[in-house]
Amino acid sequence: MIKYILKRLWHSGILAIVMSLIVFFGLYVVGDPVEMLSDDEFTEQDKIDLAIELGLDKPLFEQYFTYAGGMLQGDFGISFVHNRPVLDLILERLPATIEISLLAMIIGLAIGIPLGIFSGIKNNSRASKIISFFTTVGYSTPNFWQAIILIMVFAVFLQWLPASGRGLTNSMFGIEWAWLSLNGLQHMALPAINLAIYKICMQQRLAKSGTQEILYQEYMTFARAKGITKSRIIRRHLLRNILIPIVTITGLEIGGLIAFSTVTETIFSWPGIGKLLLDSIHMIDRPVVVAYLILITMMFVFINFVVDVMYAFLDPRIRHQK
Amino acid sequence: MKHINFKTVCFVGLFACMMGSVYADTLRMAYSVAPKTIDPYKSSASATASLNEHVYEALVSRTNEKLLGTSYEWVDDTTFVVNLRKGVKFHNGADFTAEDVIYSSCRMMYRVGGKKNMLTSAMGPVTDVVAIDDYTVAFKTVGLYPILIQKLKSLSILDSGDADLGPTLKFDNTGDCGITRYPTKAEFESGKYANGTGKYKYESFENTGDAVLVRNDNYWGELGNWDRVEMTSVSNSGARMAGLLAGDYDLIENPTGEDLLALEGNSAYSYSTMPSWRTIFLILDVGSDVAPGVRATDGSNPLKDIRVRQALSLSIDRQAIVDKLMGGNATVASQFAPSYQVGADSSMPDMAYDADKARQLLAEAGYEPHHISIDLRMPTAKYQNGTRVGQAIAQYWSRIGINVTLVAEPWSVFRKGRSARELGVFMYGWGHPQGPSQMISYAFGSRNKALNLGGSNYSNYTDPEYDAAMAAWAVETDEAKAFEYNQEAMRIAVRDLPGIPLYYQHSIWAHTSDISVVGRPDERTFADMASKN
Repeated sequence: MIKYILKRLWHSGILAIVMSLIVFFGLYVVGDPVEMLSDDEFTEQDKIDLAIELGLDKPLFEQYFTYAGGMLQGDFGISFVHNRPVLDLILERLPATIEISLLAMIIGLAIGIPLGIFSGIKNNSRASKIISFFTTVGYSTPNFWQAIILIMVFAVFLQWLPASGRGLTNSMFGIEWAWLSLNGLQHMALPAINLAIYKICMQQRLAKSGTQEILYQEYMTFARAKGITKSRIIRRHLLRNILIPIVTITGLEIGGLIAFSTVTETIFSWPGIGKLLLDSIHMIDRPVVVAYLILITMMFVFINFVVDVMYAFLDPRIRHQK
Repeated sequence: MKHINFKTVCFVGLFACMMGSVYADTLRMAYSVAPKTIDPYKSSASATASLNEHVYEALVSRTNEKLLGTSYEWVDDTTFVVNLRKGVKFHNGADFTAEDVIYSSCRMMYRVGGKKNMLTSAMGPVTDVVAIDDYTVAFKTVGLYPILIQKLKSLSILDSGDADLGPTLKFDNTGDCGITRYPTKAEFESGKYANGTGKYKYESFENTGDAVLVRNDNYWGELGNWDRVEMTSVSNSGARMAGLLAGDYDLIENPTGEDLLALEGNSAYSYSTMPSWRTIFLILDVGSDVAPGVRATDGSNPLKDIRVRQALSLSIDRQAIVDKLMGGNATVASQFAPSYQVGADSSMPDMAYDADKARQLLAEAGYEPHHISIDLRMPTAKYQNGTRVGQAIAQYWSRIGINVTLVAEPWSVFRKGRSARELGVFMYGWGHPQGPSQMISYAFGSRNKALNLGGSNYSNYTDPEYDAAMAAWAVETDEAKAFEYNQEAMRIAVRDLPGIPLYYQHSIWAHTSDISVVGRPDERTFADMASKN
C-alpha cells in the first residue's frame, strides 16, 4: 500500500511540473501582464518600473525557476492584478465553490439515482420513457442556456429567487458560508440547480444502465426465488452493485464541479474560484492561473486516490486482492 | 404574484424585512466590473475609482467642479498654488487642512509593501508640496506643467492623522517625507483607513467587489441622495439585466442594445443615456515603409498616401453605424475627441461619407480595386457593439474595392500585438477627463519625453506643424490659449488622418422607473447620479 501511495505521489509530482510548464509558457505567448495593467498614459519608464516590480524584466526561464522555487516552499506568489497572495485569493473563494458544488452533487445523487433505478426496473413503463426523455434533453442542452432559462423563469417572471450574488453569509469554523442562512440558501438555489441538472441526468443514466445489467444476474433471480422482499433486494443487492461506476464518476464529477463551474459562476455572479480563474485568464494574471491549475491537478489526483480506496471498500473482490 | 412572494419572504425572513424598512432610501447598484480595492491609490481602473470616489474627494472633480480646492493658479513657471476649502471634516471628524494634501501627495509616491501606486505618474514633474498656510498649498514642479490640475484629479485626499507623521512633514518623491509609520497595505485594504471627505462613508467592502456605503451627514456640500448604497458587480450583461428585472438591483450599468429593446415595453423600468468622453477611432500606420498587415500590389505602404486615407474615411457611413448598430446611442465624430467636451472646437463638421468620391480617390492614387489588402485588427468584448462595428467597416471598405480581413482578438492578445507594433490598422477607444488634447498628444505627437508627447504614437505619424502646436499647448497655462493650440493640432490631425475618427460612445444605465438618472460623461457610476422621483 505504501509503495502504491509513493508511486502515486511520484506521478502527481511529474504531472504538476508538466502542468506548470504548459500554463506558464502558454500564458506568456498569449499576452503581456504589463500591457494589461498599464494605462494608455503610462510612459515607457512607468512600464519598465512595473515590469521590474512584477519580476517580468528577467528572462522567462529565470522567472519560471523563481516561481517554481517559491512554489516548492509553499509560496504560490502574489497576484499581479489583486496584489495579494494567490493562495489567500483562492482559499477565500474556495468555500463558495465547495458549497455550491456539494449541494449540486447532493441534489444530483438524491434525484438521479432513484430515478435511474426506477426507470431501470420499470423499463417499459410510460413514466420511465418520460424520465428518459427529460434526462436526454437535460443532458444535451448547453449549461449556460439552462442557466438563462432558470433566471428567466424563477427570478424574472416568478420572482421567487434572486438572480445573482451570494447573499448573506455566516461564519462557521472561521469560514464564511452562505448555506447557514435562508437568504444564502435562496441565493444558492438557482446556481446549484443549474449545476445539478446535468448531474441528475447523468446519474439517472448510469443508475439505469447499471440496474438493467444487474437485474438479470443469476444472484438476483436467486434472491427473488428465496423470497426476499423487493425493498431489501434493491437496497442490499442492487444498489450496492450499481454503486461502483457511480462512485468513480461522482468523484471525478465533484472535482470537475469544483474546478470548472466557471460558466455557472459567471452567469450567476457566484464569487467562487471558477470566476477567479476566468477573470485571471483575461487579465494574464499568471501566478493565479498557474497556482490554480496546479492545485486543481493535485485535487484530481487526490480524488482519484480516494475513489480507488472506496472501490476496495465497496467491492470485496478488490479488497481481498493479493 | 409579487405580493404573495413578499409576504412569504416576510414570514420566513422577518429579519431581512426589518432591515429593509430601516434603510428606506437604499440604492442597490450592479456594476459590470468589480472594484478591486478601497485603497484609492492602487488602481486607475474605472470600477475601483468609481467606488473610491464615493468615499474620497480630490481637489477638483472629474467634471472640473471645485471640491476640496476652491481656486488655483500658476504664480510662476514652477509654482502652482491651490486654495483649500474651509470647514471640511473627514468621516472620522478630523479637520481638513493643507497638511492632509501634503500627506496624500506623499502617500501617492510611497510604495506601500514595496509596490508603486498605479497613479504615481500623475505626480511626475512635482518636486515639492508645501503648505503656505493651513488652507493654501503650493505644488512646485520642474517646469510649467499646465495639466497638473487635471492630473491632480486622481489625488484623493486622505487624513494625515492616519499615519505617524514624525517631527517634520516634508514632501519627497519617494514618499518617505519623514513619516515614521504609514498604515500597512493590509490596514488600507481592510477599510480601517477608508476615511475621506466624500458624500458617502465606508461601511464594508468584500474582495469580490461588493461594497456597502452610508450617507455622510456631515458633508460640506449638498448631502447625498441615499441613506445607504449597496454595490455589487455582475460581469455577464444578461445576468445583470435579469437581476434588475428580478428586483435585486435598482440601477445597472452597461446594458446591451437588445436589453434596451426589451425594456421599452415595460413601464416599471427605464433607461438613461449620456454622451461619454470615449471616442472610437481607427489607427493607421502612416509612417512605416511596410505597415504590418497592410499589403499593396506594388509593395509599398498605401497608407502613406493621404488620398488612400481619405478614401478609407469617406467610405464609412458613420450615421448608419450610429443609427443601425448603436441604436442611436452614439454620436458621429467630427474629430478624435468628443466635439462636446470642454476645449474642443465644436464647429468642426462631422466626418463625411461619400463612397463614390472614395473610389475616385483610390483610382487617383493609382490603386485599382483589390490592389490593397488590409488586416483590420480589433479587441473583442471591449467596446459597445465593437465587433459588429468592425464587421461593418470591413464591409464598407470592401465596397470601395479593398480586400479586408477582420481580426478580432481578446484584449490581452490585442494589447500584446499593439505593444509589439504588429498592428498596422486597428480599432481603439479613448476617453479622457483631461480634455480633448490628451488623446491626440499621446497618439499623434512625435515622441517627446520631456513634454510627455507621443507616448502611444502607433501611427508613426510626424508633422512639424502638428508638433509645434502640441508643444505650445504642453506649456500654456492660459486655458483659452491652450484650447486654441489644441484645436489647431486637432484640425491638422483630421486633415492628415493618421487615424480615422468614427463616433463617440454613449453610456447607458438601466433602472427602475421610480428613480431618475442623470449620467456622467466619464463612464463611471456614482450613487448620486440617481435620485428618487
